[in-house]
Amino acid sequence: MHALHRRSDTWLGVTLLLSATVHVAAFVCMLWLQQLNPALDQLQTTYYVDVVNLPVVAPQAGNPLPEANATVEEAVATAPQAGPQKPPATPLPASGGGKVPPSEDHGFQERMAKLTAKAAEQRQAAALESLRAKISGGKTGMPGATGSQSGSDYTAYLHSRLKDAFRETISYQSAAPFAVVRLTIDGDGRILLTRFERSSGDKLFESAVQRAITLAEQRIVPPPGRTTYEGTFVFKPQGVTQQ
Amino acid sequence: MTDMLSLAGTGPVVLAVFVILIFFSVVSWAIIFFKLFQIHKANSESVRFMDFFWKTKRFDTIAAQADRFASSPLVMLFNEGYSELKQVMDGDAKQEQAGVSTDLGDIENVSRALRRATNQEINRLEKYTTFLATTGSASPFIGLFGTVWGIMVAFEGIGRTGSASLAVVAPGISEALRATAIGLIAAIPAVMAYNHFQHKIRVLVKEMDSFSTEFLNIVQRNITGK
Repeated sequence: MHALHRRSDTWLGVTLLLSATVHVAAFVCMLWLQQLNPALDQLQTTYYVDVVNLPVVAPQAGNPLPEANATVEEAVATAPQAGPQKPPATPLPASGGGKVPPSEDHGFQERMAKLTAKAAEQRQAAALESLRAKISGGKTGMPGATGSQSGSDYTAYLHSRLKDAFRETISYQSAAPFAVVRLTIDGDGRILLTRFERSSGDKLFESAVQRAITLAEQRIVPPPGRTTYEGTFVFKPQGVTQQ
Repeated sequence: MTDMLSLAGTGPVVLAVFVILIFFSVVSWAIIFFKLFQIHKANSESVRFMDFFWKTKRFDTIAAQADRFASSPLVMLFNEGYSELKQVMDGDAKQEQAGVSTDLGDIENVSRALRRATNQEINRLEKYTTFLATTGSASPFIGLFGTVWGIMVAFEGIGRTGSASLAVVAPGISEALRATAIGLIAAIPAVMAYNHFQHKIRVLVKEMDSFSTEFLNIVQRNITGK
């Protein structure tokens, strides 16, 4: 009988080994799955679309030309306003100081309302036509862009990427820290140099800025014309601004 | 998910909690595997032994073949009852020569031997299950302790840095909550397995009681002639 008991208990050692193996295997599987699915924050990028100035699909497209700027301004000017519109000022009676009869005044108001409505319709139709022309043009970037211009649009693009990244990394311990950072980006979209032109004096904040720059570097595309780009950005707890 | 498995920066107390919980988990799973194997074998061999027991007419034949069903608790009962019966029979032979009758006392002896064997088998079957109960009840509390400690440390860090931004608060709390998660991961299977094994053991105990009664009936009918 005792021999039987001993025999059955020897299995406990085997199962202990089996259990340890299962735990190690589970741990390895979790590590493997973690490597298979990288952190979501590196994959999901938030895009902000400026509905007034159409988004630059590829920053390499460069700036709109001056005449293109005019087109955009025109489109914006003719676009219907979202907010309540003020009715156009009613022209004052020409002269004489005499009072206009109420029936005549009423007729004038109606005519003005019709004219205003017609003008609004025309403006809306023109704005829609302008937007359609831009969309169906088949070109990327702003209207008239040749892709040769480098500069401010890439800055805006970079600013957007930095702002996104900084939102994820921000942390600080002083009251209102801010740091001015000059970035040099090479033709391949890699950050060559990060220079703090003004230090915040808050190590936690500066570490957050550094991490934001590193994070943004993974998402940015090369500058227009694959030339070296230099830009200065101001990091504050409220966000990132261009200088 | 990021750095979920990373223990870098974990405090010594929370780390100790992790080690304890992992130990509990490893040992409880070892016991679960062991008990699954043991109880499954006990059940299947008991069924086979009972078939063999009812087909075979002679106790000595059964005793000779009993090793084939070594994992069945009923075999242990049979062996104990049979060896006690043999001793009683040998003693009876001597007493008959001396002219003394002890029939009732003989049955009592066999009954006591069967009860003792039943208790031994219950002890054997229930061995290590207390560890599962301990894991099931203690692991969540140990994990909770790790969490409370981790949150305390995280808040101390917030106080030191003076910043309560999510980037400062979240990693510490996330790390602390991991302790509770591991505690629950260790406890849930242990509790489920404990309940399952208790049910299976209760069934086996009932089978042992039935077998003891049958064995005593057979002894009383055929051997003592009552």
